Amino acid sequence: MIKLSLATSLVAALGLYVKPRLLRRVDELSPIQSEEVKIVKVSCLPNCTESCWLQAYVYNDRVRVLMPAPDYLEPEYTRGCLRGLSQVFLWYGPDRLRRPMVREPFLRWCRGEVSWEKAVEEAAKLRGSPDKFIEVDWDIALDCASKALAKIMRDYGPASIAYTVQVPGTAYMGKGALMRLASLFGWSSMHAYPLNGDLPTFWAPTFGVQTEELETYEYLNSKLILIFGSNFTVTRTMSARMLVLAREKGAKIVVIDMNYPSVANIADELILINPATDAALALGIVYVLIRDKLYDAEFTKTYTDMPLLVRLDTKTRLKASEVKELSEYAKNIKIPAYRELYTAWDTRRNKIVIVDPRTLERKDPVTGEIYDPALEGEFEVELVDGKRVKVKPVFQLLKDLVYREYTPDKVARIISPSLDLVPKYIDVIERLAREIATIKPVAIIYGASNWQWYNGDLKGRALSLLVALTGNIGMPGSGISTYAGQYKIKWPMWSWWGYDKELTKIRGVAATRRPRWLNWSIFLNYEYRQSEEWRKYRSTEVPWPEKGVRALLIQWWNPFDQHNKALILTRKARREHPEPLDFIMTTEIQWTTSVEYSDIVLPAASWFEKYDLASGPLNPYVQITQPAHDPLFESMPEIWIFKEIAVRTSKIISAEWTEEEIEKIIGLKKSEMIELAKMFYPDPELQRQEEEARMAGRWSLRIARDIANKASELAIERLLEDGRSVVWAEGVTANLTEGITLEELKKRPIRLKLPTPGNRQIPFWVQINMKVPFPNASYPHPIPATARYVKSGRIEFYKDEKAFLDLGEELPVHKDPFEECLYKLYPEDRGKYELVYLTGNSLYRIHSTHSNNAMMLALQDYKPKIYMNPKTMAKLGLKTGDYIELYNRFGNIRGYLVEDPGIHPRVVVFYQGWWRRYTDGTYYNAPNYPWIKPTEIIYFTPGVWEPNTKWNNTLVAVRKLE
Amino acid sequence: MPKWAMVIDLNRCTGCKTCMVACAMWHGLPPGVFWTIVKWAGSNVPQADMATIGDYPSLGSYPIHNICNHCDNAPCVKVCPVNATYKRDDGMVLIDYDKCIGCRYCMSACPYGVRVFLWEDPSRTISDALRRVKSPYPYKQAPDSMAEQNYIYGYPLDHRDNGRLVYRPVLKLRRGIVTKCDWCVERVDKGLKPVCVEVCVGRARIFGDLSDPNSDVSRMLAEKGPNAVRRLEHLGTEPRVYYIPKTSKPRILGEVTS
Ligand code: SF4
Ligand code: SF4
Ligand code: SF4
Repeated sequence: MIKLSLATSLVAALGLYVKPRLLRRVDELSPIQSEEVKIVKVSCLPNCTESCWLQAYVYNDRVRVLMPAPDYLEPEYTRGCLRGLSQVFLWYGPDRLRRPMVREPFLRWCRGEVSWEKAVEEAAKLRGSPDKFIEVDWDIALDCASKALAKIMRDYGPASIAYTVQVPGTAYMGKGALMRLASLFGWSSMHAYPLNGDLPTFWAPTFGVQTEELETYEYLNSKLILIFGSNFTVTRTMSARMLVLAREKGAKIVVIDMNYPSVANIADELILINPATDAALALGIVYVLIRDKLYDAEFTKTYTDMPLLVRLDTKTRLKASEVKELSEYAKNIKIPAYRELYTAWDTRRNKIVIVDPRTLERKDPVTGEIYDPALEGEFEVELVDGKRVKVKPVFQLLKDLVYREYTPDKVARIISPSLDLVPKYIDVIERLAREIATIKPVAIIYGASNWQWYNGDLKGRALSLLVALTGNIGMPGSGISTYAGQYKIKWPMWSWWGYDKELTKIRGVAATRRPRWLNWSIFLNYEYRQSEEWRKYRSTEVPWPEKGVRALLIQWWNPFDQHNKALILTRKARREHPEPLDFIMTTEIQWTTSVEYSDIVLPAASWFEKYDLASGPLNPYVQITQPAHDPLFESMPEIWIFKEIAVRTSKIISAEWTEEEIEKIIGLKKSEMIELAKMFYPDPELQRQEEEARMAGRWSLRIARDIANKASELAIERLLEDGRSVVWAEGVTANLTEGITLEELKKRPIRLKLPTPGNRQIPFWVQINMKVPFPNASYPHPIPATARYVKSGRIEFYKDEKAFLDLGEELPVHKDPFEECLYKLYPEDRGKYELVYLTGNSLYRIHSTHSNNAMMLALQDYKPKIYMNPKTMAKLGLKTGDYIELYNRFGNIRGYLVEDPGIHPRVVVFYQGWWRRYTDGTYYNAPNYPWIKPTEIIYFTPGVWEPNTKWNNTLVAVRKLE
Repeated sequence: MPKWAMVIDLNRCTGCKTCMVACAMWHGLPPGVFWTIVKWAGSNVPQADMATIGDYPSLGSYPIHNICNHCDNAPCVKVCPVNATYKRDDGMVLIDYDKCIGCRYCMSACPYGVRVFLWEDPSRTISDALRRVKSPYPYKQAPDSMAEQNYIYGYPLDHRDNGRLVYRPVLKLRRGIVTKCDWCVERVDKGLKPVCVEVCVGRARIFGDLSDPNSDVSRMLAEKGPNAVRRLEHLGTEPRVYYIPKTSKPRILGEVTS
């Protein structure tokens, strides 16, 4: 189904290389001349979480300068950082893609000259090189892409096509367009949250949510801000303003880290601890809180699982249905399947009571009496079968645990970088406990680099104890917050991301049409899928496509640098892996490393060349971006690219497959598939207009772009419509986008109408103040999908699933980060690699974005650097400026050594994001391995409960290069 | 007539370098050329992401700024043989780029090292930087150009002070002249604040009229004035940039490090 245009035959005639066409169709590409400087408001949309609202100074149809735009209700939110303000170096820089490109073997396959197998084999050899890319017309590239996708679906099923929507919060509409395309055919979506290592896996087991965070403006209400392993002034560059202001208002800022991070520069106190020992520190503090009765007993009894009784024989929580005197009553209490009736000991009546998961009121659901649950003690209860068992409240078990393992002297030995400092660390633990208990409100910032470890979940669970036991949740300026990435869907978006609406219309009965799911670590970690552990713990919910993954679609994502764990992705691409990739397609703005690994490359519009809708975790604003001018060269908005693939692929399928095949493989009737593809744009009329222009030979980039922009605006309006009525928590609905229109958004970001006083983003305000059970909804999932993680309706610290019990993690504990993964799999590595390898985020990049920004490169002298403590360097005989390599069994990375006394002596830091072209072809992710922890595979809720990549759980050795 | 001055409160600075880069982008400075600098004290590698001083775990960090002081008694003004560098009544020390002959007397006269001589055409400096981006994209125009050959960034319109050319994006200036921080005269004359002040994350940089007691600078100096210092005050240059030294350092293990 390839239309052989003039350009194709030209490519065919010339063979490999086609010189770039320097002349473009004049009507579309010559800039409009003007002497005026025009200001257009746009959004900066990397995944830095800030999404700054900027003003673009447009002159002669190009953006000349970007500055912060002052349109927020709170002027403190006005912002824009060094990277965002120099982003013209990306979009107008030398790496900007001009036209679609197809790798030569695939072009030949599209023309029917070689077999698929031959094309795949030859393309694989080219992956990783810039060679043999042929610039082609959009028609050729899109037809070729569609033909390949159709073939893969026919041979291996749609689930074998995997893709990622990187941080949808940066572009709900454009990135949603890929989601929509994937929904049409049923491809496998790999949630970016765990893929990026950003999923804080403690949230779901503890609070039953994906995440919740305090908006940074609330810091002005905080009195004590604890920052655990987050270099906030670098990674939340602009929100750091709120820390500065909070501090001037009298808040105390305490930074806890293994290294001296630049946020310590504006802190009142820095507590340096050994790598991955935060859980020990937190539990040491818990010890003091309990010993000195500094905890908030009322809060603890009401909102947490601390009063729930646990059987000492099975270590499981005691259910009302197991208890003789309660089981009959329990039968009559109607609760949803995702809840459970647990028990507590009422100290007033000295008897066991049912803890009602439908409310946070401490009311006996049988008698209606108010009860006062015991936190401490040991009790005996009679079970239904007459057996008598001993039980203890969770709080008592926690107390036993910290008294046994986490007394300040024991903890100080774990966290102190040297033995002689142990007495000082004991003092620190004692003092910090008293401060946390007495200074209110306390806000904890828990940084991603801190949970990207094998036991990152344990740290988060332990840190949550600090705010839960002291009642620092649900109040202004309080809580524990993680701000990693713009993953959060602030309301369900299926009307644009899926095809529910259209399919329902076609069928006349309620229908859903959404993509499948897959997890990145599971995709990479072939070995784990062969292991005993996988067989033992994997829930049937955890997806893995029957015929494996054959194709990878990349959209605004650079996995070959950023997610190439242990170089597995390279091996898959080069077909040197038991599960090789047949086809890789990238939709990108610039020539990234991942482009070099692709077979087809489609050039996309930049952040200020299209419409989109965005929001981030740092505040409750929604905002758009809008075109300051047309996309450069032949690049196009994603919505158009994915619409074209939807239509073309459906045409190929309907021409070549039988009706039965279509129904079996795609799960749609042929007519349904064709109809849905025609309805890709929110208004099919727009799609028809473009088709008409094509038929009449009037089609041009200008027409396609104009129509795509109109479709984008409609899609944004449809998304806003979705937010008008959502379920926020059990029994609480909200109109989040009330009164928010696209027209208004063209002028300024607008605060969502959160169901809180002043629409302030205060985590769990509803639960704490309205006694509504946990959790809030984690969109796009309905409440039951995540409420099942906190069946009691309370904040849960005790987990009794088998995997938790087997690992001894029913309560949060501190564990060595390497014992249960690296040393278990490779005992011979013990002592061989001794430096902890940290890949923090750089001030000069957002992950790997801005790696090729000339302004940022100049600030770094164009050199990737590795930071080490001078004492460690002396021991290893190294000096500043040495060109060194860090390596382990999985891979290596190179850079120039810089001494910094602020680095922990057992740590080495390489700031992530340098593209391979700057590191001698080495990859900073190569020394990392995609570890999977059993507790991560006992459920599957995309972006909420699944295996997270563990960027920092890595040990390396060093060698000097000549 | 306003009396412009700047205050930099180092206690509020996060070291984010946004001021430095925003200034470079606004004024069309080629990569590597800066009119104002923020760096960390202590590192022997100036381009290090971060530098700390001390011995683990007794550590501290100190951001260092540099920017033209717009001195009241400016040596650079005095030595300029062609009056290209001049002091305006509101206190701004400016350069008339039409007049500058590139003799560099001002560079040796300025004790603060804030002036930048254009050794080569800025268009060439940016070409070198772009070449070092190492783009392997086979269809780009040239290894050392932006995607569109003639694109330049920076506020595009010239600004003249009574006919004197005091602002033009540096990428459009010729080689062999001296440039420096112009306190964003092209903005301030329109009632806007300098770029570095406008973008400052920590609101560490403050600009305003010293003759107005209610201006940000006057209030800041009234509040923190006793601590304020000017650089190399003993030289008698009478700088108009005041620094509030960093007094707070994080407590480490219960102790304040020095
Ligand atoms: S990179 Fe992030 S902080 Fe910087 S301007 Fe863009 S969104 Fe804002
Ligand atoms: S700091 Fe230097 S360039 Fe600026 S006014 Fe003073 S002497 Fe002149
Ligand atoms: S922008 Fe402000 S906070 Fe950032 S480096 Fe400059 S002065 Fe410091």
